[in-house]
Amino acid sequence: MDIWATYQRKLEDVQISPPLAAILALVDLCATSTAGTMFELVKALNEGSDSLKQHSPNPISINAGCELFIAFVTLFPHDSASFSDLKMELVKQGEIYVRQALTYRRKIGELAVDFIKDDSVILTHSYSRVVMETLLLAHRSKRISVFVTEARPRGLGVKTADALTAAGIPCTVILDSAVAYAMDKVDCVLVGSEAVVESGGLINAVGSLNIAIIAKAANKPFYALAESYKFHRLFPLSQYDLPSHNPRILSFPPPIERDTVLASSTSPIPSSGYEVFITQEEIAKNNPDVDYTRPDLISLVFSDIGSLTPGGVSAYLVGMFAG
Amino acid sequence: MASETPNTPTLRAVETLAWKLRRRQIVGSRATALETLLVLRQVISKSRFSNMEQLVSIIRSVGRRLVEAQPKEHSVGNTVRKVLHHIREEYHTATRGSAAASYSAFSISKFVLLGQPRKQTALPKTESKGSLKENDPDDPDSFARSLKPVLMEAIQDVLDELETVYDNVSKNAQNHIHSDEIILTLGMSKTVEAFLISAAHNRNYTVMVLETAPSYGGRDMAKALSGAGISTFLVPDSSLYGLMSRVNKVILGAHAILANGGMFAITGSLLAATAAHAHSTPVVVCAGQFKLTPLWNLYHEYGALDFGDPSQVLGFEEDSLVDKVDVVNPFYDYLQPNLIDAFITNDGDHPPSSIYRLIKETYDDEDNEL
Amino acid sequence: MATETPTSTPGSQPSQKSMTKAERRELQEKQRAAKLAQPADTLNKPKSKPKPPAAQKKYPPGPAEANISSADAFRSHTKDATSAPAMDSLAEASKSRSLRIFSHFGLPKHGPGVKGDIHPCIVRLALQFSEFKICGANARCIATLIAFKTVIQDYQTPPNNTLSRHLMTHLSPQITHLVSARPMSVTMGNAIRQLKLEISGSDIDMPEQDAKDLLCQKIDDYIRDRIIIADEVIQDLACTKIKDGDTILTYARSSVVEKVLLSAYKQGKRFSVIVVDSRPLLEVSWTLSDDSLLPPPPPIPCTYALLPALPSLITEATCVMLGAHSLHSNGAVFSRAGTALVAMMAKQHSVPVLVCCETYKSSEGVMLDGFSKNELAPSHLFRTTLPISPQGANLEILNPLYDLTPPSCITAVVTEVGLIPPSSISSIPTALGKINL
Repeated sequence: MDIWATYQRKLEDVQISPPLAAILALVDLCATSTAGTMFELVKALNEGSDSLKQHSPNPISINAGCELFIAFVTLFPHDSASFSDLKMELVKQGEIYVRQALTYRRKIGELAVDFIKDDSVILTHSYSRVVMETLLLAHRSKRISVFVTEARPRGLGVKTADALTAAGIPCTVILDSAVAYAMDKVDCVLVGSEAVVESGGLINAVGSLNIAIIAKAANKPFYALAESYKFHRLFPLSQYDLPSHNPRILSFPPPIERDTVLASSTSPIPSSGYEVFITQEEIAKNNPDVDYTRPDLISLVFSDIGSLTPGGVSAYLVGMFAG
Repeated sequence: MASETPNTPTLRAVETLAWKLRRRQIVGSRATALETLLVLRQVISKSRFSNMEQLVSIIRSVGRRLVEAQPKEHSVGNTVRKVLHHIREEYHTATRGSAAASYSAFSISKFVLLGQPRKQTALPKTESKGSLKENDPDDPDSFARSLKPVLMEAIQDVLDELETVYDNVSKNAQNHIHSDEIILTLGMSKTVEAFLISAAHNRNYTVMVLETAPSYGGRDMAKALSGAGISTFLVPDSSLYGLMSRVNKVILGAHAILANGGMFAITGSLLAATAAHAHSTPVVVCAGQFKLTPLWNLYHEYGALDFGDPSQVLGFEEDSLVDKVDVVNPFYDYLQPNLIDAFITNDGDHPPSSIYRLIKETYDDEDNEL
Repeated sequence: MATETPTSTPGSQPSQKSMTKAERRELQEKQRAAKLAQPADTLNKPKSKPKPPAAQKKYPPGPAEANISSADAFRSHTKDATSAPAMDSLAEASKSRSLRIFSHFGLPKHGPGVKGDIHPCIVRLALQFSEFKICGANARCIATLIAFKTVIQDYQTPPNNTLSRHLMTHLSPQITHLVSARPMSVTMGNAIRQLKLEISGSDIDMPEQDAKDLLCQKIDDYIRDRIIIADEVIQDLACTKIKDGDTILTYARSSVVEKVLLSAYKQGKRFSVIVVDSRPLLEVSWTLSDDSLLPPPPPIPCTYALLPALPSLITEATCVMLGAHSLHSNGAVFSRAGTALVAMMAKQHSVPVLVCCETYKSSEGVMLDGFSKNELAPSHLFRTTLPISPQGANLEILNPLYDLTPPSCITAVVTEVGLIPPSSISSIPTALGKINL
C-alpha cells in the first residue's frame, strides 16, 4: 500500500493534524499488514514511518505521531492467543485514540481560557487549530482582541484573521517585522506548535522564536498550546540541529550574471525606484519553515494532560519513552 | 450513588468552619489547614460508606463546601487534596493484589498519561488484612470498618506534619543565615519568625523589617524578632531600594505556592523580590508544604486577587478625600518563579522548578478541581 | 568654616523682639535640647565646643531644673531617630556593628544650638526645616534665598572691610545654622555657590545699599530663571507627553509634577492619575486635603494607594512622572525614598519614566547607591507615628528620606532645556551653575 497517499487522504479532514494523520496511516498499515509476529509488525511500521518522513518536507510532526504509535505498539502486552486479534486490537486502539484526540483541543482551550483575562489583547502567530479553538472559547466569556502575525512564508496569519473576524473577534494582521512594535500593547502571547520537544522547547512555524524573544524582553507571558500527541522525543541543540534543517536553508547563492537573472525573473516584487531581482519563491526556498523556541522563553505549555512548565513537559516525555 | 449525607453533628461542624472561614475568623494558612483537617477527621469517622467512590465523594463535597466559603484561602483545598491522596494511597496498599491487573484497559491516552512522574510510595505497610470487600450487600459497613483505622492513621500523619511544620522549616536555618549577614524580611509570617529566631541561636546577624503598609505587620514582626534578641531595624517600605544594596538575603513568607514555582504572598513581596532581583540578592521563601497549591497562576498575574479595606490606606477622618479618590488596597502579590531562588519547606529545600514535581507527588491530578 | 562672628548686628535685634511669644518659647525648647545634645556633639567634633558668650546672653536658657525633665521627655520621644552610634555611646559593642553601617546617614540634629550671630529669620527657617514645615528641594531653596535677602538687607559692612569680602563670612554661620537643622539640599548648595560667586564679584566701589540691592536682584533673578521659569518650561514640555486617555502614575508629592498635571488638565487634556504614597512622610495624604490635585469639578480622576500596592497598579499606567531631589552626573536621580522602586517597576513593565527636574538640581559628582548618602527622618514629627516604641535595645527604627534611582530605570529627564536621556545630564552646560545667568 502507498502509505504516503493514505497519509495525504487522512489529512484532507481539516480536523486531522499531521501527527494524527500519521497515526491513522500507520493504523491502516497495521490493518493491511501481513506480519505474523510482533517483530515483523514493528519493522513494517518503522519502514512505513520512514517512508512518510522521506516524502514530507517537514518530518517533525509526522515523526511525533509515528513515534507515539510505535512506542505504544511495542509496549502493548501481547499475550493474545492469535496475532491477528492483537493487530485488530491495535487498530481499534489507534482509532479510539484519534477520536479521543480530537477532543483535546477543547480541553486545552478550557485550560488556557483561565489564563486570558477580560479585556485583553492576545498576540498569536500563523494559524493553529488549537489556538483558534481557545480564542473562540474565550470570546464567549471575555472581551478579547487579537493581533495575528502574517507569518511568512506560509502567510497563514490571514487565514486566522479571516476566521476570527467572521466570529466577531476584533483582529488585526501585523507584519512579522512589526511584532516588537506591537508587543507593549499585548497582554499575552498564545501560539500553537508543530512539536514540543524533550528540552521543553517548542517547534513551530518560523517566527515563533522572534516572538518569544520579544515577549521575554517585554516581560509578557508566552504560552504554547500543544496536544499531547505533539510531544516529540527530540532534543535540538540549536536551530541547525532540527531535522527540518537542510543545507539549502540560509545558503548563499553562487554569484550569477545579472542579465540571466533579469530575463528569468518572473514575478519581481513591485517596488519603486529600483528593480528587484529576487522573487518571493526564491526567498522562501532559502528560508526555514519552522524554528525552535528554547524552553527558557516559554512561560507555560497547555496540553490535554494539564498545564505544564517546560520542565514538566520533559518529565512527561522521559516518562513516556524512557520510563 | 448511595445516600451520603453526613449525619447532623458532622454537618454542623462543617458549616461552623465554613462560616468562620467566610467571616475570616480563622486567619493564617496553618490554622486553617489544621481546622480543616480536624473537620475532615470527624467527617470520615462519622460517615457511612461502602466503597471507595462514596468515601471520596463525601470528602470532596465537604471540601467543596469549605473552599467555596473562602476561595482565597488555598490551604483548605490543599488539605482536602492531601487527605484524598493519602486515602487513595492507603486504599491501594490495602487492595494491592487486585489492582495490578489493569493492563486490559491499556490505551494510547493512558500510555501518554502514565508517563507522568509520580512517585508510587506505596510502602509495604501493614499487610493487607484479609479481603477488603467493597459493596458487600450483606454488610455494607464492612468496607468502612476495615478501612477506617488506616484512614485515621493517615490523617494523623498529616496532622503531625502540620503541627511540626515550623520546627521542620527552621531546622536548617543556620545553614542559610551566616554570621554578620543583613537579612531583609517583611510582613508578619509565623514561619519566617520561627526560622529567623532559630537561626539566631547560632548566628549573630541583623534583620531589617519592612513595615509593610497598610497592615503594618512588619511592626509586629520587628517586635517579635527584637524580643528574641535579634538586632532588628524597622524601616518604611519606601527605603527598600536604598537599603537593598546592603542586604545579603531576602527572606519572605508565602500565602500559596503555585505549581509553576511562583507564589502568592503579602503585598510588598513583589517589590522586595524585584528590588532584590535588580541587586542580584537571593530571595528565599520559607513555607510549609501545606501551602503547595496545584493551581497555576489563578486568573492572571495582577489584580483580581483579593482587596482589603481601603480605610487602612486612607483613614475615614479624611472623608473629604475619600469621596474624591479611589483607594486601592490589594492583599496579595503574585511573584513569578524567576524572582525566587529557593523554597525552604518542612521537607527540604527546593528550587522553584521542582515545585511542579512536588505537587504531582503530593496530590492526585483528579482532585485539582474539587 | 564655622567662624564665629560675635559682632552684633543692629538689624537683628529689633526683629528678635518682633518674634511672637510662642516662637520664642519654641526656640527655648530647642535650645534646651541642644544643650543636652551638646556633650554628644563634642564627641563628634570637639572643635565646635566653644559657645560664644554673646549668644548665651542673647537667648538665655530656661531654669536648670526644668531643663532636665523636659529634655528627658524630649529625648525619650525622639530616641528612635536620634540613636546614632556617636550619640548613644552607651551602646554595647555587639550592637554597634549593625549601627555602624548607618552611622553616616545624615541625622537631624534636634534643636540646633544658636551659635554666633544668627539672623532671626534664619533661626525661624531652621526651625521650619527641622520640623519639616518647609520640605522639598524647591521650597527649601526658595525659602533659603528669600531669607538670605533679608539677611543681606539687614547686613552692614563693618568698618575697614568690604562687602564683597566680608558678607560671605557673615553668611557662613547662617548657613551652618541651617545645615544643623537639616542637611543642606543640593539645590541650596547650588544656589549658595552661585550667591557666593555674585558676592565676591560685586563691585567694591558701589555704594553699599546699591550693592545689596543688586545682590537681592540677582537672587530674585535666580529664583525666577532657574526655578519659576524653568518650571513653566518643564510644564509645557511634559504636557506634550500627556495624551487624552492616559493614566499618569506619580509617587509622593513633587511640586513640579503637580504643576505639570494641573496645567495639562487646564489645557483640556483628560487623563487620570494614580498617586502612590508611602511612609515616612505620607506627603500626599498629608497635603491632598487642600485640594491641590483635585481642582474644582470635574476633578482629575485619582486613585490613591500605598507603595506595596504598586505592582497591581503599574500595569494600568501609561506614563510615570517623578520629581527629584538632585541629579547626578552619572544620570542617577536622588529623590524621595521609594522613587527608585516606582521607576524599577515601571521599567519592568516598559512604562516610560519621566523625571521632572530643573537643571539647577544637578550636582557634580557620581552617586552609586542610595545608601552612601542619605538623611533620616525624625519619625516623631509625622502624624502617623508608630504605635510601638522601641522598648528593647535590639530594635531600631530607621526612616531614610531618600533613595537613588539608577539611570537605567529612567527614560528621560524633563528639564527646562528639553527632554534629555539621563546619561547626558553632565553635558548640560548650564546645569552645574558654571555659566552666569
